[in-house]
Amino acid sequence: MHILATEGLTKRFPTVTAVDQLTVAVEPGVTGLVGANGAGKSTLIKMLLGLLPPSGGRARVLDLDIVSQGAEIRRFVGYMPEHESLPPDVSATELVVHLARMSGLPRVAARERAADVLRHVGLAEERYRPIGGYSTGMKQRVKLAQALVHDPKLIFLDEPTNGLDPRGRDEMLTLIRRIGTEFGISVLVTSHLLGELERVCDHVIVIDGGRLLRSSAIGEFTQATQTVTVEVDEGLDDLAERLTAGGQTVSPQGRMLVVKVLGPETYDAVRDAAADLGLCLIRLEQNRHRIEDVFREEASTRV
Amino acid sequence: MSEIYDIGYRHYDGPRLGRGHTVLALTAHSLRGVFGLGRPARSKIVPFALAGIMLLPAIVTVAMMALIGQRGMEYSGFAVVMQAVVAIFLAAQAPTVVAPDLRHRVLPLYLSRPLTIVEYVGAKVAAMTVAVFALVATPLVVMYLGELVVDMPGPPATGEFLGSLLMALVLAVLLSAFGLALASFTPRRGLGVASVITVYLLSSASVPLLYGMMVNTGNDAIAPWAWVLNPFWLVDSVQSWLFGTPPHSIESAAYPSGAGSTAFLLVLIAVGLGALALRYRKAAAQ
Repeated sequence: MHILATEGLTKRFPTVTAVDQLTVAVEPGVTGLVGANGAGKSTLIKMLLGLLPPSGGRARVLDLDIVSQGAEIRRFVGYMPEHESLPPDVSATELVVHLARMSGLPRVAARERAADVLRHVGLAEERYRPIGGYSTGMKQRVKLAQALVHDPKLIFLDEPTNGLDPRGRDEMLTLIRRIGTEFGISVLVTSHLLGELERVCDHVIVIDGGRLLRSSAIGEFTQATQTVTVEVDEGLDDLAERLTAGGQTVSPQGRMLVVKVLGPETYDAVRDAAADLGLCLIRLEQNRHRIEDVFREEASTRV
Repeated sequence: MSEIYDIGYRHYDGPRLGRGHTVLALTAHSLRGVFGLGRPARSKIVPFALAGIMLLPAIVTVAMMALIGQRGMEYSGFAVVMQAVVAIFLAAQAPTVVAPDLRHRVLPLYLSRPLTIVEYVGAKVAAMTVAVFALVATPLVVMYLGELVVDMPGPPATGEFLGSLLMALVLAVLLSAFGLALASFTPRRGLGVASVITVYLLSSASVPLLYGMMVNTGNDAIAPWAWVLNPFWLVDSVQSWLFGTPPHSIESAAYPSGAGSTAFLLVLIAVGLGALALRYRKAAAQ
């Protein structure tokens, strides 16, 4: 079953075509929507929420039509906007309770759900204080909580890791994974970094200039060009020589080596080579894909 | 103390109420906001102080009826006499209803729910209308109850009282539509307050001037139309036409034709609501 499917979906603005003939289907689970800034991610989400009428094509969310059944979709979908969207002078509890009631929950149920959800996103005592005094990380959690409070079947998260420090980013990604698995709520999460979605998504859709570049299970992405960066104190050339001799594909990059991962044995080869040469291994790091890599690949296969 | 167990995520399978419920909840929430209920104490100072000031003449009137057996203020003239206080209330509180959601971009959180933009704006206008109506009608009710209790000679002025209540509602609709429209075009709260009060001051200061100028230049026929440029005198002129109450304009100057001012009143309400609709259509598209 698809949780959402588009067919030739198009949105033209007077000066720009934000979404261009997009045909894509999304299965339950956590799906990443990747694209550079301005690739049409936010426009796509607004159309899927039934807030922006498409210029062409069709789409269904939870098997409801986005044009004629927008209100019904919004009853069962949650949305976390990209930008700051919280009033500073109310507490998180008050805001989330109020927005739960705006989703149609009765007063008592709204209170219970808000308390539950704020606990799940990790807001403790501070939820009674005005939002104005919150850190960026806490504000992101409030935005996530309001998207979850009415127990939606699907949530749209627009750049949820924006502005977070590395630790906050990690926690947010872990939370997103939990929503998709433990909570059983399907997630469509956007980012301009493919690398960070790799960790939490089952499936990734890449769009550029409003067009579909690629849609595939996460495994296919990571296997394609997995590389590992190796940094040693000195003796970089020796290591490169040894690895090449051992059948590995190595390319030097400044003071580091980038080694193509052929399988688990590549890691063993790096380890053994470093040990044999008595080198001081500083870094062995799996490379995170960046959206640019995918663009480069797609461009090279197209030529 | 009880222990807290992590029972994991629980799904919600209770009722999901319809839009009527949602709009009512939003109206109640906004109305509480106007009076600063559920907000820090300093948010309550201005609305309740102004409501207190509105009650003073009513209390004095009741005291006069009880002590010296004389009617003080007329029901029909109450809104006009107290117009500055009502205007300050509108200027101070209308921005709290619409400005935060626009300025802090909270609107998308509402619109990603079943609520439509029309329902959102409708709830806001309804909340502000109820607030202004309560502000004007409460002293009227106090005065009327006082009149009944004191048992003045002659029948109580029930007709005039009910008429003034109805006109208080009309005034509330007009002021809310305009106040909210002005406040929504200036989402910074301070600016919103300033813009509403400026428009009011212009409309109240210019009216006697215009009137005097036209009378002096011999344009007696169009001079009465000056009164309709101020919302309070406009509503009073409609009241005067509908219920035959004396005009409460300065020196009881004559009002223009009742049908004309009623039409103008309706046009103004439509303009206010139209401006709001336009403003929010733009805000919703963002």
